[in-house]
Amino acid sequence: MEFNIDEMKEQYVDHPFDEVEFVVDAEDMVAFAQACGETAPHFLDPKAPDFRAVPNYASRYHGRRSLPKGFPVNMMASFDAGKSVEITGSIRAGDRLTARSHIHDIFEKTGRSGGMLFIVHRMEFSNQDDIKVSTVDWRMVVRLDMTRDKKAKRGAKTQSGES
Amino acid sequence: MAVDRYEDVEFGEELPEFTPDISMPKVVQFTQAAQMNFGRFTDHDEARKSGLPGAIVPGIMSQGILAALIHRWAPTAQIQKIDTVFRAPLVVDSAPTCRGVVTDMDDESRIVEIDLTLCNEAGETRVLGTALVRL
Repeated sequence: MEFNIDEMKEQYVDHPFDEVEFVVDAEDMVAFAQACGETAPHFLDPKAPDFRAVPNYASRYHGRRSLPKGFPVNMMASFDAGKSVEITGSIRAGDRLTARSHIHDIFEKTGRSGGMLFIVHRMEFSNQDDIKVSTVDWRMVVRLDMTRDKKAKRGAKTQSGES
Repeated sequence: MAVDRYEDVEFGEELPEFTPDISMPKVVQFTQAAQMNFGRFTDHDEARKSGLPGAIVPGIMSQGILAALIHRWAPTAQIQKIDTVFRAPLVVDSAPTCRGVVTDMDDESRIVEIDLTLCNEAGETRVLGTALVRL
């Protein structure tokens, strides 16, 4: 599949496509922190003063959909290349978070292993007081050569009479 | 010794490295807390069937481990941003090492930049990243 990056950007970047709410659970906060090897009481003990979630806690939440309707990429063909979390406020037990999603950027990179399409999915989290607490950028990658190779193979099969 | 203040930090300082626990029970604990109950994280056989070298550590758990490295070094540090690249899978039940080094310091904002890596037993970097940390 060939992608027209400029067209995709115009159609999808900065257009909100999902909004969902989550209630923050203290037990999950503690288990998340323990599993990551945190040792500070303010991440592990719900009774500790200033008990709060670890900085990347919001990255565990997912919206109802990962890509906008009609987005010309199959999620199953992509892989998770990384996450960036910006922390602008504390996430506390019992908080009601609202997460809004949009595509933040789309770009192509060519490396030694071929071309790759990067899709940056951004989720912005605000709490019940409308304070922005976290922004999570999820970089999804699709190998362009793989999709092109498949297309070429399909074409070759079709030409040789196979289907 | 734990770092408390910006003045205690030195440019180029290496954070005390540690070997995080990425045993299967620990990863299962994480996936349950994060509601990421997928076989590729919690079942070696299932992961191998889909072409992986074994069950793999969720990327955001690796990111959390790198954040823990910072907090172990400076318990009062406030991470403002953490950006991680999942370069290659980290296999559950292995013994990786996480490291950090201070690569920039801004005296005015009291923010330090830290380069982070999570390497497997062969010394190959599987996850890398940077963090901006206020002290």
